[in-house]
Amino acid sequence: MNCQDCEDKLTLYLYGELTPAEGQAVESHTATCAECGKVLAQLRELHNALGRRVISDVSPELLVRSHLKLEDAIDSEHLGWRRLVADWIPMLPGVRASGVAATAVFLMAGFTVGWLARPHAGKAPPTQVTPSISARAGSLVSPDIGRISSISQILPDPGTNQVQITLNAEHHVTLQGSLDDPRIRQILVDAVKSYDNAGIRLDTLSALRQTASDPSVQDALLYALRRDPNAGVRLQALRCVRGINWSSKVQAALIESARQDKNPGVRVAAVDALVAHALSAQEVSLIPVLQSFAKNDPNNYVRIKALAALHDFAQTGDWK
Amino acid sequence: MDGACLELSGNNVAKELPARADDRTLVERAQAGDRAAFDALVRMYDRDVLKLALRMVGSEEEAADLHQEVFLKVYRSLVRFRFQSSFSTWLYRVVTNVCLDHLRRQKRRMEVQSPVVDEDGKTEFFQTVAEERGALDPERTLQAKEIDLRLSSALEALSPRERMVFELRHYEGLKLRAIGAMCGTTEETAKNCLFRATKKLRLALGDLI
Repeated sequence: MNCQDCEDKLTLYLYGELTPAEGQAVESHTATCAECGKVLAQLRELHNALGRRVISDVSPELLVRSHLKLEDAIDSEHLGWRRLVADWIPMLPGVRASGVAATAVFLMAGFTVGWLARPHAGKAPPTQVTPSISARAGSLVSPDIGRISSISQILPDPGTNQVQITLNAEHHVTLQGSLDDPRIRQILVDAVKSYDNAGIRLDTLSALRQTASDPSVQDALLYALRRDPNAGVRLQALRCVRGINWSSKVQAALIESARQDKNPGVRVAAVDALVAHALSAQEVSLIPVLQSFAKNDPNNYVRIKALAALHDFAQTGDWK
Repeated sequence: MDGACLELSGNNVAKELPARADDRTLVERAQAGDRAAFDALVRMYDRDVLKLALRMVGSEEEAADLHQEVFLKVYRSLVRFRFQSSFSTWLYRVVTNVCLDHLRRQKRRMEVQSPVVDEDGKTEFFQTVAEERGALDPERTLQAKEIDLRLSSALEALSPRERMVFELRHYEGLKLRAIGAMCGTTEETAKNCLFRATKKLRLALGDLI
């Protein structure tokens, strides 16, 4: 063994990762070679020094805290859209995949044969691999789906009030149902609030827009407007909010967006919505808000828009 | 790799991954949706997961985050686990991936942060050392803290993969074969990582040894 071979093996020797023969060769060499013996001594010192590193042990408090945190997270998974779908299709866990991922089609309450039969412009129809598909209202039809991991697509059909939700489960799964079905709505509402893909949240909002009169949907739209991290999603939520009946909650959410949203596009759109409502409904409670925008807002468009609205108000004579 | 197996190697106690005999039953029950079985699996491994996370990130808060991320991933994908390896190997692969991702993110953050420097342009040592209350010998405590800081900095300077392999071998005492399986790589790659890590540490800590 020469010095280079020895040096290459010293680390593994110290960690007991050499064969007995290799270990003996290292020992023989370091016993006769002062230079390699010195390197070995240095490496042993390094080991000792690293052993002095202060590392906190796992305290019982940390263990308990981590358990609680995990349980909360799992509970929220159960309460989220995955659980809703899982409860709806009552055999998800434990089902084994058979072969390559495929698409099964579930026909839910509100399903219309005509919708399925209509041509899917520009889209391949879902592959049907389960021969036992049948249409029973509100019941599960295919046995092979597995645990659901994510949503891959939400496709609303504005003409028929139907929505198609494609899930990434152990198998690819497509749910189809009416937006009138509260279970479909609840899955979408949950997806808006908690789903981690902005594109899916955007599609979900487009689907929910058709059923915006539902209070839980309105809450989801306002939630997305206020809290969604993606500006495009917030803007889409704002468009949907403009379609619902005006209420103090809607007004508060729009004012908050107009004042605080980080994205100028969203702020401008919120101001537009407020101004439009203020003028069409002669909403005098919005005048101080518009005055504040006209005076303080850093954005030229917002200031001009608010001033013009105030001017229009003054013209109507309802306000001086 | 199924079944518990501890191996003595030279003077070092090196071990394979600590697979438990009743893993399979619990995993199968958890795959069938039995939450109690999943909780039992968590309790079986959570101390080891937390210990490793704590070693890698240093803060209890972050370690608890990593613990949650690991077991949530396991919870979501357990149904796809096919027993092609032991559950513990699969679990530790999730742990190493989560920790590696965390280290990579941390490294990127550190690269964009400027070090705290005083008016002369020197790094402010005291600003980087947390205050230690109730110490009996402040000088010794400070020395120990300084050494600890040097050791931690040297470890942080390793690449995420070198760091992971080093921590698992040096502090967890796992065999390189097991580490290779955990990291989804070969024993040879794990050996190279350990070799490079030791070399870098020797250079960085030369004056301490």
